[in-house]
Amino acid sequence: MNGLLNVAREEFFDHITSKKFLIILGLFLIISMMAMSEGIEKYNDRLENYNERLTHVKESGMPSARFMPEKPSILPVFRAMSSQLPLLGAILALSLGFDLITRERESGSLKSLLAHPIFRDGIINGKALGGIAALALAIFIALLISFAMLLIFSIVPTADELGRILLFGAIAVLFLLSFFSIALMASTVSENSGKSFLYAFLIFLILSIFMPVFGGMVTDRVIGEPPGFNSGHLASESVQLGAEERRDYDQARSAYWEKRHAVDDVINLVTPVNSYNKIISEVLPYASSSGTTSLSLKEGLGKIWANILALLIFPTVFFAIAYVKFMREDVR
Amino acid sequence: MIKTENLTKEYNGSKAVDGLNLEIAEGEIFGFLGPNGAGKSTTILMLVGMIEPTEGRCTINGIDVMRNPFEVKRIIGYLPENAGFYGHKTATQNLDYFARFYGMNTEERNKRIQELLELVHLEDVKQKAGEYSKGMLQRLGFAQALLNDPKVLFLDEPTANLDPEGVIEFRNWIKRLSEEGKTIFLSSHILAEVSRTCKTIGIITKGKMVAKGNLDEIRAKLGQDKTINIIIETAGAIPEFHHHDIMRAEYDGNKAQICAKSDIRDEISDYLFKSGIRIRGMRVETPSLEDIYLEGVNVKDEWTA
Repeated sequence: MNGLLNVAREEFFDHITSKKFLIILGLFLIISMMAMSEGIEKYNDRLENYNERLTHVKESGMPSARFMPEKPSILPVFRAMSSQLPLLGAILALSLGFDLITRERESGSLKSLLAHPIFRDGIINGKALGGIAALALAIFIALLISFAMLLIFSIVPTADELGRILLFGAIAVLFLLSFFSIALMASTVSENSGKSFLYAFLIFLILSIFMPVFGGMVTDRVIGEPPGFNSGHLASESVQLGAEERRDYDQARSAYWEKRHAVDDVINLVTPVNSYNKIISEVLPYASSSGTTSLSLKEGLGKIWANILALLIFPTVFFAIAYVKFMREDVR
Repeated sequence: MIKTENLTKEYNGSKAVDGLNLEIAEGEIFGFLGPNGAGKSTTILMLVGMIEPTEGRCTINGIDVMRNPFEVKRIIGYLPENAGFYGHKTATQNLDYFARFYGMNTEERNKRIQELLELVHLEDVKQKAGEYSKGMLQRLGFAQALLNDPKVLFLDEPTANLDPEGVIEFRNWIKRLSEEGKTIFLSSHILAEVSRTCKTIGIITKGKMVAKGNLDEIRAKLGQDKTINIIIETAGAIPEFHHHDIMRAEYDGNKAQICAKSDIRDEISDYLFKSGIRIRGMRVETPSLEDIYLEGVNVKDEWTA
């Protein structure tokens, strides 16, 4: 345990003092903060509009909740930050992990390290722990700056919003962990850092670009076109339908979309970016969390538990491959 | 202190180390000699618990290396061939990282690191390890191997990157450590290095031990089938001498060089005396240890080919 913590501590400090970490994190923070600043400006506009409508409702003597305007949420502000993670966050995670083992092998420091009283699993676990801690710190810094920005603009999140923002932080770390584990696995199975980077980047491209784009195409191919009216016309076309025909059409259409969602869900589960986006759409909805258009946090989590599970399983699988490979490796 | 029993390591069906049986007593300086690729480093890596033997076992101070690598690592020091370090850290930072694995507190670590850096003359070097020369890295590697004041020290090609001055200093360190009672296992392909530093030598080639013992024993074992060169100088011309052990002979006036299977100097001197020829000089030219080693290694190569 002592050895594991020693490795983790060393890795953590190596990461957070490395130029690549500071540069990519800096870039991520700058872009996120710019987007957030824009989001805050829009939030203030919406808030102003809300206040005006509220005054109007009160003055016009329409006290019913039906006519009450919906209070704007600050969550879309964080949505701006969340949208930077699939690219910059993933690059940060990849950059931390792709040479963790290969660099040690290349410099010969792995032999020196293994000569001391530490078990092999202590090394790989310590490296993983140090990397996770560095990524968590990056997200923590980003959230801290975001809160500071909110306070500067005198915006105080509600308890529900605060819970959702913190959950977003945890999901963000989990998402980054997927790419970190891919990079760690590539570093363990590759001969050198160059190849490791190539493999990690290739997997990143497949998961981040290929899968989301071609996933839809696969769904189209598997499910086919949405059902049309029996005459071949699409439902959107202005065709006079009988009651029975309307019922049949509605059933077919509903079955089609259910099937399509099921296939989409499966593709989403094996694509961290899609899983992440789906989770974020529930955790940080555009509409107010107190409004009628979005679900409560508890209800939302019920809808996306499979995606959260997928984000947990994904890094576990890649880390397990890295672990087994490293434990069986002959250090020569 | 160090014991191996039928230690074997196979890579893709080829035996890098083949049934090695070795016993090294406490306080001994053992030289593990062999050409490149003979299996020296593989043997050391098994002894320090970095790779798993395909067959056999090895123990250090009675502790089974494969079963208790952690305990073994507590009592050994290991200097790998081309010792590697973290290039972005200084010597002190590198040593401090490794020293933490032994549970030393800050004060103990600082004191030990300072002592070792002074020993290897790196105490005033402020550069990071990535900017070190190979010789400096080797010296830092030596300091790293001594961090825990080990009972047993494994040194893999320790003088490979040192300058002549560094080599002499290294020999002094080894001598001092041996006087402290440490067991030292030194691997090298340089015969001169091993023969000057080690009390006992083991010669390995193609994964098998060819000979083990002190220098004289090695010489006797590997040189037992060797021919003897007898150089003779007389006052007058040397007559041709016949003996069944003579393999070849060259006569040049009053000088001759006779290559024989055995030492036949007595027979030669009797013959010359009876022939009335005065002997000015007669000596045996024994093959150097290097000749014996090279021939021994080649013979072994033929056996194992």
